[in-house]
Amino acid sequence: MAHFIEQIIYGLTVGSVYALIALGYTMVYGVMKLINFAHGELFTLGAFIGFVFLGTLSWGSYFGPALAIGLTAILVAGSTALAGHFLERVAYRPLRHSDRLAAVVSALGASIFLQNVIMVVWGAQYRAFNASLLPTVVWRIFGQSVSLVRLFVFLTAVIIMLSLYLFINRTRLGLAIRAAAIDQGAARLMGVDVSRVIALVFVIGPALGGLAGLLVGIYYGQINFNMGQMYGLKAFTAAVIGGIGNIPGAMLGGLLLGLLETLADAYVSGAWKDALAFVALISILIFRPTGILPERVAEKL
Amino acid sequence: MRAFFFFLSLLTMVASLAVFAPGPAQAADPIRIGLMAPTTGPWANEGQDMVKVVEILVNKVNSSGGINGSMIALEIGDDGGTPKTATLAAQRLVTRGVVAVVGTYGSAVTEASQDIYDEAGVVQIATGSTSIRLSEKGLKLFFRTCPRDDEQGRVLAQKVKELGFKKPAIIHDNTSYAKGLAEEVQAMFSSLGLVVAYFDTITPGERDFAVALSKIKAQNPDIIVFTGYYPEASTLLRQKREMGWDVAIIGGDATNNRALVELAGPAAAAGYYFVSPPGPGDMKSPVAKEFFKVYLEKHKQLPSSVWSVLAGDAFNVIVEAIAKVGPDSTKIANYLHHGLEDYQGLSGTISFNEKGDRIGEVYRLYRVDEKGDFILRD
Repeated sequence: MAHFIEQIIYGLTVGSVYALIALGYTMVYGVMKLINFAHGELFTLGAFIGFVFLGTLSWGSYFGPALAIGLTAILVAGSTALAGHFLERVAYRPLRHSDRLAAVVSALGASIFLQNVIMVVWGAQYRAFNASLLPTVVWRIFGQSVSLVRLFVFLTAVIIMLSLYLFINRTRLGLAIRAAAIDQGAARLMGVDVSRVIALVFVIGPALGGLAGLLVGIYYGQINFNMGQMYGLKAFTAAVIGGIGNIPGAMLGGLLLGLLETLADAYVSGAWKDALAFVALISILIFRPTGILPERVAEKL
Repeated sequence: MRAFFFFLSLLTMVASLAVFAPGPAQAADPIRIGLMAPTTGPWANEGQDMVKVVEILVNKVNSSGGINGSMIALEIGDDGGTPKTATLAAQRLVTRGVVAVVGTYGSAVTEASQDIYDEAGVVQIATGSTSIRLSEKGLKLFFRTCPRDDEQGRVLAQKVKELGFKKPAIIHDNTSYAKGLAEEVQAMFSSLGLVVAYFDTITPGERDFAVALSKIKAQNPDIIVFTGYYPEASTLLRQKREMGWDVAIIGGDATNNRALVELAGPAAAAGYYFVSPPGPGDMKSPVAKEFFKVYLEKHKQLPSSVWSVLAGDAFNVIVEAIAKVGPDSTKIANYLHHGLEDYQGLSGTISFNEKGDRIGEVYRLYRVDEKGDFILRD
């Protein structure tokens, strides 16, 4: 039983990172019906910008860990948001009225471009975050050792997701996003500036992805230019499991995928982990083709 | 005007004849030895070191009068680190008339060039290609100065036993190199009488191996053998420390990289063992000391890894063979197979077995100390 609880804790940490990235995919898909393949690279970008402040400039030793991470988080969110906005302007806006396939190809191109820019700027080798940034504190919970950093990653991800949920459901801007997601034309007739909504989605999504990159850098300590591929693929899967276009669905899907992977690894075999997680994905899609929490398509008809 | 051109071409013909005519003052033809190395591409660093090492040795031979009076002409072919470029480089070296070739680094790259050299009757001595199957094809002219992957597995298992561990766990990362090594180690453990407590894979490129570690911990081994590369090894070290679990970890030569300590942090990396051929800084024989003194004077820093030094050793044994039996590839191969015994090379003593593989222990045990330095154990 103790072993089981330990695995659940691991699964939730891994899953919360997937969930954070999955939100970026799902928000963009919800509003634009476009899969932003460059999202994984924005995640990598976030990790590397975090590396500049916490690794290269080692802010941790000047400001103390809490302030350094806080400041870095703001800068990372800001710059990845800016990058996302720029991406939308350059790669997607010119194609908004053309074929959907054109936008997908443009997304793939943007992904390859960003990945190579990151490689040229920071090099192809692995980069190490400051290993002693956060103290290695280990707590005993239910007889299990849980490290402070692991808890920090999980709680930060949950707080970010909760605030996004409240923003979408309790504010006028959130209402506009939801309206544009359901029907762009009708939303426009009701006075929603859909262009601004799309721009907003391309600011929030990348910021969340960038923060996820920062969390991965801080916790696992090593980053490289193509880390976004693996995380991007997993997060995209999570978004599909949860029902792409649905925000709580992406959170749920991320946590579920993390748990599935971890349990498959723990109770079957590390070699079969990904295979089993994807078998689960396929069965979910067979029995619920729209995901666990589907986008409310029915309301449209 | 036409008559002028006719006269001119006649003049050039006569002139060129004069140049190529054997003059009485000319020395004997040089012996051409090839060096195939990745001087561009992803392993350019290794390839350029190979060139630097071999050029110093060529100068040394030529300045002391050559081999029995014949000078050596070094022909360099760039394999770019890819099999495709390697076939071009090999064909070029063959048409330049080399009698033997040193190189190359990557196993797949060497494999692409093997048949070309064999058909042309050129002796090839690979320097960094550790894949087992290269010497299992029955090629009579193929040799290598680097060890094979199964040799590494044998030494790794042996060292684990010598260090007094009883219950090892094995993890690999499913790459062909790491999986092959892991299976080799597993087989060796069972013949040494050690019970393998755990055998499974992790996914390279992932960041979280806590699950794998917790599973291994449940089996309670006293040492973990990881056969993959340094990024994953450093994550394992980091997360093992975070779990507060004090178990030894040992790895293979793919973790012999300074970045390991940087990524894991010195505190987590301390106590990590790995087996690897000794680095240039740890080669202490008189021959090696003399060579590295010259190398340091010329290039200011030591070669970054052992593999380029093995290219130097390949060149040395070719020179040794030519001095004994002359520049004939069949005779050279025959001498290397049967005549060469315990030649004093830069990286230790060199002999070859029937397959052309190097005989003798090359792998050494290293341990990472508290400051993060790699310390040679024995």
